Amino acid sequence: MEENNSRRHFMKTGGALFAAGAAGLAGAARSTMANAAPAVATHTMAALPKAKGPRLVVVGGGTSGLTIAKYAKKEYPKFDVVLVEKRDMYSSCFSSNLWYAGLINLEFLADHSFLDAAVNNNYIYFNATVTGLDRTSRTLSTNEGDIQYDFLVLAPGISYDYDKIGVTDVDAMTALRQIYPGGFISPTEHVTIHRKVKEFEGGVFVQTVPSGNYRCLPGPYERACLLASTFKKNKIKGKVLVLDANPEITIKKDGFHAAFNELYRDYIEWLPSKAVTGVDVDRKIIKTEFDEYKFDDAAIYANVRGSTLIEHLGLMAPSSKSNQKEAHIDTRFYNIIGDPHVYVTGDSRPHPYSKSANTSNTEGHFIAKVLAARAQGKEISWVSPRTICYSMVNAHPMEAISVDAGYDYSTEKDIITGFSKDTKTFENRDAAKGEATLEWARGIYRDMFNA
Amino acid sequence: MDRRRFVKVCTGSAALASANWGRMAVASDFEAFPAAKLTDRSGAPFKGTTIPTSEALVFSYPLAGVPCFLINLGDRPTKPNIALKNEEGDYRWQGGVGPKGQFVAFVAICTHQMSYPQPKVSYLRYAASGSELAGGPGRIVCCAHGSVYDPADGAKVVIGPAPMPLMPVRLVYDPGTDELSADGIMGMAYIKRFFTTYKADLIARFGPGGYRQAVGEKTVCIPISQYSGLVPTC
Repeated sequence: MEENNSRRHFMKTGGALFAAGAAGLAGAARSTMANAAPAVATHTMAALPKAKGPRLVVVGGGTSGLTIAKYAKKEYPKFDVVLVEKRDMYSSCFSSNLWYAGLINLEFLADHSFLDAAVNNNYIYFNATVTGLDRTSRTLSTNEGDIQYDFLVLAPGISYDYDKIGVTDVDAMTALRQIYPGGFISPTEHVTIHRKVKEFEGGVFVQTVPSGNYRCLPGPYERACLLASTFKKNKIKGKVLVLDANPEITIKKDGFHAAFNELYRDYIEWLPSKAVTGVDVDRKIIKTEFDEYKFDDAAIYANVRGSTLIEHLGLMAPSSKSNQKEAHIDTRFYNIIGDPHVYVTGDSRPHPYSKSANTSNTEGHFIAKVLAARAQGKEISWVSPRTICYSMVNAHPMEAISVDAGYDYSTEKDIITGFSKDTKTFENRDAAKGEATLEWARGIYRDMFNA
Repeated sequence: MDRRRFVKVCTGSAALASANWGRMAVASDFEAFPAAKLTDRSGAPFKGTTIPTSEALVFSYPLAGVPCFLINLGDRPTKPNIALKNEEGDYRWQGGVGPKGQFVAFVAICTHQMSYPQPKVSYLRYAASGSELAGGPGRIVCCAHGSVYDPADGAKVVIGPAPMPLMPVRLVYDPGTDELSADGIMGMAYIKRFFTTYKADLIARFGPGGYRQAVGEKTVCIPISQYSGLVPTC
């Protein structure tokens, strides 16, 4: 009874917010969350077949979760794998910038079925939203009932942190989230930005770049290029104003500067060290420390934090380990410190890795091996993820730049110290890399959805 | 096609060493298929002396939907009898055939995420004179994620994320006529997965089941620059 009471209380407070949209909901972890204890089991079991082996529950059907669900089963066929995903339709965040410039259609991003991924790779896709976790009884609660696990992987991605751009008023935050979405979390944001680009008739289109380790480091710059390329082709009298919180372009800077200067001199204005400190939604004004900028339309990319689900489940790292509310996990093997049964992977990790699809995909291959080994009482050595990442800097014709990065681990400090020596950048834009950008994405879709 | 009527042969030395080769779990074998003569578009057998060194030729073998590269390595010697490993186990690659051992063939499907030559575009190519990603001349490069293979070394992975070599195709060279045939392939399990992955595309291109048809006694080789409308030079 007591548990049921707590459960009801939770559903009225924090749980409702998660049911509304979970990982993507910025600010969901605000005051209501502070009082919500990590939830308890409902005693209503989810309608799932009885586990036929050690049950591995993977939460999140993004790049990390899909890769781990597939490859953990491949690495250790005895695993009984359940992928819990709140969306009923996949659409990738990666490659979404290409859609705005008409280089791909929405099918490119979304014609990939969770059902097919599960059938092709012998696991169960369970369409539900996580509401709580009891690590003592190894029970995950969802809006569709509880699931017992032997191993749990949480890969819920990121949430936006509007507090960090000075927007603390919940009305302003809500307006901002709906009217000027950042476009780095959910498909519905991508659809809105796609419409904005088609409807842009001139003036100033602001693209902000947050500080910290945000998702897809080159993403905002790539988007600026693709919007500029589109405006230029369509002879729109307008420009993209890039307000960058950072003093310099965060990755592939030579390639981006070359594109800005050589292709978009009249179409992109890039202003470094302009951290957004507030937005007046009604008057369409963005404030930075010393200046104000009037805009006609915008994609306002707030700072990034670990998914609010991580905070809600009580798995957040102390601020000394992560200033972005990411998970409290082992640097090399991703388990929650002190709990070898629960893992947090993908963009909720506190690592300084680039939060990109290729990072999560290669990391997922490694974590699948970790889980397979641990299910058999073994350990394996750490392997760095790999960040292979293309940025389309021109749409007419398609030209891209790229980076291929690895990372170094320090045993003494138990931290990731930086890029490995074999990291390479390819910053001369060309058509070959433009074409490769498309196949890069198709390869990752195949790796996640096909057998 | 009735696959059962073809005899399974083993050229791998590990497999040959085993009396119980039919149940080999650790060795990967060539699977024999009816030999197919490599021809030009007119159906005339390709003469070894006319095979260019500047790019790969694409041919289908043993089934219509399986793309393979025929590569003339020119003066670059192959390394014969090297030990390699794929998802099916260990095997030995015997090197090239021809007067200088310069002719080699591999299944043209990247073992990382299955990029392959298609009529519209090929992200996989033989970069005879090198490229930005290749790290040296005479390598096979995949644009998608930068996997690089050395065809003189059994298409072993030299750079990038590919987990295993390109699947080898066995060639037979007739010194009397200077003609080439293919008569075996490794990795049918991988090809089956390739068919599943691209099933809709393959049906659109070859018709229902068409991609699974045997090529017959002849298979046409087409330079990749003509086979694919676009070949990015990654």
